[in-house]
Order: sequence, then structure tokens, then C-alpha cells
Amino acid sequence: MTTVANTDAGTSEATRPVFTPVDPELAAFIYLEARLADESRYSEWEALWDDDACYWVPMREGDDPQRNLSYIYDNRRRLRSRIAQLNTGSRHAQTPPSRMRRTVSNLEVLAQDGDTVTIASNFALHEYRYELTVWAGRYVHRIRTGPGGPRLVEKTVHLVNGHGAVPTLAFLI
Amino acid sequence: MTTLDNPPAETTEAANPTNTFDVEALVRPDRVHGSVYTSPEIFRRELEQIFRKGWVYVAHDSEVPEPGDYITRMMGQEPVIVARGKDGQVRVLANRCAHRGNRLCNAEQGNATSFRCPYHGWTFSNEGPLVAVPMRNGYADRYDSLRGELGLTPAARVDTYRGFVFASLAPTGISLLEHLGRSTDAIDRLLALSPAGELQLGAGHMKHFQNCNWKMVMENNVDGYHALFTHKSVYDAVRPAKVSHQPAKVKVLVRDLGGGHSEIDYSEEYEKLDEEFVWFGRSPREKLPAYVSAMEAAYGPERTHHSLVVGPPHTLIFPNLFLAEMNIMTVDLLAADRTVAYTTPALLKGAPELNGKMLRRTEGAMGPAGFLIADDGEIGFRNQRGLAARGSEWLQLSRGLESDLDNETGTVNYDKSSETPQRGFWREWARVMGASA
Ligand code: FES
Ligand SMILES: [Fe+2]
Repeated sequence: MTTVANTDAGTSEATRPVFTPVDPELAAFIYLEARLADESRYSEWEALWDDDACYWVPMREGDDPQRNLSYIYDNRRRLRSRIAQLNTGSRHAQTPPSRMRRTVSNLEVLAQDGDTVTIASNFALHEYRYELTVWAGRYVHRIRTGPGGPRLVEKTVHLVNGHGAVPTLAFLI
Repeated sequence: MTTLDNPPAETTEAANPTNTFDVEALVRPDRVHGSVYTSPEIFRRELEQIFRKGWVYVAHDSEVPEPGDYITRMMGQEPVIVARGKDGQVRVLANRCAHRGNRLCNAEQGNATSFRCPYHGWTFSNEGPLVAVPMRNGYADRYDSLRGELGLTPAARVDTYRGFVFASLAPTGISLLEHLGRSTDAIDRLLALSPAGELQLGAGHMKHFQNCNWKMVMENNVDGYHALFTHKSVYDAVRPAKVSHQPAKVKVLVRDLGGGHSEIDYSEEYEKLDEEFVWFGRSPREKLPAYVSAMEAAYGPERTHHSLVVGPPHTLIFPNLFLAEMNIMTVDLLAADRTVAYTTPALLKGAPELNGKMLRRTEGAMGPAGFLIADDGEIGFRNQRGLAARGSEWLQLSRGLESDLDNETGTVNYDKSSETPQRGFWREWARVMGASA
């Protein structure tokens, strides 16, 4: 694996600006993923994923999902169930769906591994459902590139408040 | 008199001239008044009568396995440190510096033999006593007596049942065993699934913020009526219910165990099916060979088969512990309409094969993104909002009242949708809340 920008805290690389241009197609893919989630277009969002999907919302950064409980740790099958539940129209926690808009920024290429690119970003998400709730954190997308276009392999969501109490999170974050 | 935010018509100055709490105006055998969920005044009284005087679940001793290990928790709205001393004993100490009240320990968990207050540097041992005061000359001759007197205030009573640590802030009252009553069977039932007979919590708790009263979160866990409606999306999209919800077709019962404890019990239905692991996604035993053989080595084939057939309990232990099958749930009380639900998988000592899968099952069902609990949280929120309409102020809990049966296990009803568990909860709530303050 080629590490492009080392973001480990405390290393000199982390404090020196490193600009690795993000392939515009991959940036567009991340924005599309965000918009489909914002607009609760569940099946279209699901179609972005590859078969070895991992959609992960840990409670803390550094958690090991095999030892620590996560808020979400979906493989492809669990993800399919999640979308199917949302598509029933009777997932009460998302009926009607939250109105959402999120801003995704600070894109950095973390690694390039064969056909797979890992991109980190920051996000701020405004959710309106009875009241306005702000969610924020860091995304890490692993995206597989290929002739058929980009496919999402992993999406990890590090919430800034993951270790504290979080409200109901039934939408796609 | 006690002023209610949302006073029931019956509670007037004339009807209630004394300083007593008119619990009859709030709880009847078949109904409760909506203000029990909404009134800040009632909420404050609950903190006093239930969460200070009564036994409250605080932690499980496997969360502080080694001497020096500690976690911080809340009892009602009071912060406590649960710490294991070098003598191996688990203590529950007020998380409040004895000097001027600063919150002493500000981490969620860790290991320390002493806590030093950040404000003026007083240091307390993890067993409670004050061990050091900076610049002690300022206290002149009074230092020694000060040091002897000022430690961290321990919970008046702490006791455990098979690793579950409970505490009470009142020096007198019934013993923990008296409080737990028949609910110890549920804890035993859970631990019968561990080859070592022990839990090993430690995967961390999901903390789910919910805009509803704490009782709605707890009570709903033993409501056998809501699943087909609240959780329709799960049955439609993912999997049918474990067993039918038609009372005529299944031997699933609800039970008021007394003392406010109550449960939904699938064991008769599972025994009828005589099938292992129905409660664990119907996993074939061949997929868990090490677990099954460890169980058989510990308990023999017959008891193992029985434990694996009947599975874990689904039992609410009054007031704040829910044995949610393979999860442990509790609540933090923020306000009358704000609660944080804590959930962690009931990991079993000696069962690594099961434990890995359990994390994924907990995430699937429970917590803010869970297929089940996210919707329970939403319904709880709407319930809280609905109660703001005060046209008819009572909530009905009469379902199955005529078909309740008393037997040696408590009051049972073979219609799972009966509100028998809630009636048991409220009877105890009324008894405790109605007692003189
Ligand atoms: S308040 Fe803790 S040392 Fe003063
Ligand atoms: Fe539920």
C-alpha cells in the first residue's frame, strides 16, 4: 500500500500541508453519495456499494469492531436489510424522512492501494426532524475504481460525539 | 402540597390539604395519569423516592475487573465512581470532592489508585479516604481531624447479585435480595448461558438520547403489544417474528413478578418447539461447537440443552435494569422528558464464539441506529408529545385484566399483549412514590 498523506497525529507529515489532488471523479462520487443520503434515495444510495461493503459508525476512533460495540457495523447483507427496512415506509424513525443537507470538505487522499483509493473528509450535517440537529465528524471512504465507474467499499463515520449520547440515527449518515 | 405541573383534576387543595403525595390520583389498577410522564415535580420525587431510597442498578462488576479499575456512572442525577479497591471490593462513591464539591473524576473509565481533584489538589484513595491536602498548614491543628472526616461519601448500601452491582443512597430499607425477589431467576437464567456462569461486559455501551420519560423507555421493553405495529418494518423487510404474535397459537406469556419486576417469557413456547438457539437467530449448534462443548462440560448435556432451548430472559428489574435477552440496558435520567438509554451486549465468560456474533446482533437491534430501538425511541418521543394534549388525561392499562392468573411465579397472562407487566410496574411505582417522603 502506498501511503500518500500520513495523518497520524504527532508525525511531521501530519503538520506539513500535503496536497494530493483528489481525482475529480472520486470527489464527485463522494458528493453523489452524500446527496443521495441527504435526499433519502435509499435504493440509489445502496447501488453505489460493492459486494464487500462495510458501513461502519464506531463509538470512538480507534475502536476495534471485533471487540467494541459500534453504532453501525453493516456488511453487505445487513446493509441490504437496512435499506429494505427504510423502503417499507413504516420505519417510524424515518417516516417521514429527515430533511438533511451535509457539507463534505477537507478531502485528503490517505492511501492508494491498487484499484482502491482511501479518502478522508470532514462533514457537517444538518438534520431537520421536529427540530434541527447538527451532526459532525470525519468520513473515511474506500472507493474501488474500475471500468464500470467507482464503487463504494467502505464508509466509516467518526462522529465527534460518538462517545457521548447520540440521538436516533435511523437515516443514512 | 405537592404541586404538579399538570395536576390531575382530583388533586386540589381541598382534596389534598396535607403535605402527602396523592398517588391515588395518579395510579389506578387499570390506568395511570399522563402527568407521571410529564411533571417535573413527579420527576423530582422519583429521584428521591426511587433513585435515592431504593436499590438502583449501577454497574456490573466485570466492568471493573482489576483492582484500581473504575467507571463513572449516575445514580438518578448524582454522579458516582464505581471503583475496585486493592482489597478487591467494588465501592460506589459520590463523585464529588469533599473540599468544595468539584466533580472529582472526569473520565468515563480507567485505572487509578487515587483521584486528585483538579481544583485545589486534594487527593482521595479509590477506596474513599482523603489521603493528601496540599499546603496543609493552612488548616493548622485541624488538619488531622479534617483528614479523618473528609473522604468521598460512599453509597449508604452496596450489594451485588452474581456480579450485578446495586446501590442505595438510603442507610435503611429492605435488603437487595428482598428487593430483587423473584427477578433473581432471570439473572440466573442469563448466567446459565455462560459456561463459567459469569458475564464479561466490556464491549462498551451505546448511549441513545431519547426525548421521552425514562419510564417510557423501561416500560416499553415489557410491552408485548407493540411489536407488530411499532416494528412492522422489521417483520416486513427483514424477518418474520421469532414466533407468531397470535396469542391463540403460542405459549408466550407476560408476567408480573412482583416488586415492579416483570417480563415477557418465551420459554414455554421454546420448550414446546424443543429447538436450541431460537433466541440466537436459530443458529445450528454445529456452528458453535466450542461453546456447546464448554456448556456441556460445565452443566452436562441435559441442562445445557434446556438452557439453549429457553435462552435468555426478557425481564425488567425495577427500576432501571432491563435484561434485554442478550443485552443489558439501563437509563440515565436527564429530565422528565429526556433520557439516555445505555445498551451493551451481555457477553458471556467462556463463550468467545458467541460473543463476536453478539456484537453484531446488538448493533442490529439496539441503540440509536438499531432496527428495533430507533423506532421505539421515535414512538417514545411521539408519546411524550401526545401527552401534552390534556383532554383525556389517563393512559389505559386494562388489557388482559380479566384473564390475569396468579400462580407461584407471579401474575401471568398467556396473552402476550396483556398489559400485565405494566400493571405490576405501576403498582410498585405507586407504593414507593406514595410512601411518606
Ligand atoms: S474542590 Fe476539590 S480540592 Fe477544592
Ligand atoms: Fe420495541
